[in-house]
Amino acid sequence: MTEVSQRPRTAESAAAVVTEFFDRYRAHDVDGMTDLCSINADFSYVPVEIWGKQRVLRGDGKVCTVGKPLWTGLIASFPNLSNTVHSVTSNDEGDVVAQVDVEGTQQLAWGLIAPAGRHYREPHLFIFHVGADLLIDSIAAYWNDAGISQQLGHNEVD
Amino acid sequence: MTMTPTQTVQAFLDAFARHDVDAAIAVVDPQVSVTVHPFGLESSGADVLRGVLADLVLGFPDLMITVSRVITTGDVVTALFKAEGTQAAGYAGAINQEKHLDIDQAWRFVTGGGLITEVTAYWCQAQLYRRLAVKRYDEIAIA
Repeated sequence: MTEVSQRPRTAESAAAVVTEFFDRYRAHDVDGMTDLCSINADFSYVPVEIWGKQRVLRGDGKVCTVGKPLWTGLIASFPNLSNTVHSVTSNDEGDVVAQVDVEGTQQLAWGLIAPAGRHYREPHLFIFHVGADLLIDSIAAYWNDAGISQQLGHNEVD
Repeated sequence: MTMTPTQTVQAFLDAFARHDVDAAIAVVDPQVSVTVHPFGLESSGADVLRGVLADLVLGFPDLMITVSRVITTGDVVTALFKAEGTQAAGYAGAINQEKHLDIDQAWRFVTGGGLITEVTAYWCQAQLYRRLAVKRYDEIAIA
């Protein structure tokens, strides 16, 4: 009989999962980031919206179908992409809130922003929920996308 | 009896939602640290926060605040809400074109002794300007 040992979810263990998530993000280990998430984990990058003539594409969906391609594309466009975690607070229900600066130097087009070799650094607030199985089942993030555009030299409000 | 962190922030949000800036500031420490990332604002003092709230209420007199989540993690309380309204005065450099605004925001509060001691606000200024029909970041006041 196989015995499975499972750490209990506490505020500390939930925070540790999120800290590991940002360590893997800093190492550009997108598969590793995804491995920390449940298979159906929700994803919402609130500022992401691309206005077309008849529809608006938003950064909402699932980690596996929206989050992973976004992270992969971001790392491709900003090969030195990095993050600095300023604070992580959590509770025993698995809620984790992290203040994180994300930064990088643009080498490829990102959305409508042409590459000009410029660097950005922008404060983000990430809201996670870590399930009882110590897998992330929800990620949401807020930041000022105008700040990124302006730092990269793109002054049009698209 | 001292309010819990959640009660303190809920009192702030309730007052803000009914446009009662004085009541909101009543649960704020006079030396509160105020960071509003979309404005590049990093300052301190209740009057600074009062200005941020008052500008929003003045710019959008029908402002509606709809709180979707309040997350308490120790002394830190994070509120997720949508701010909606119709522009009636200049706001954040954008001239009034009577456009409707709806912006999802996250405000992170630190509390102590029944008061808010730190506020950090996150929202996307690109979404805000897009809704207010601003075309360029370097020409915000030109429609």
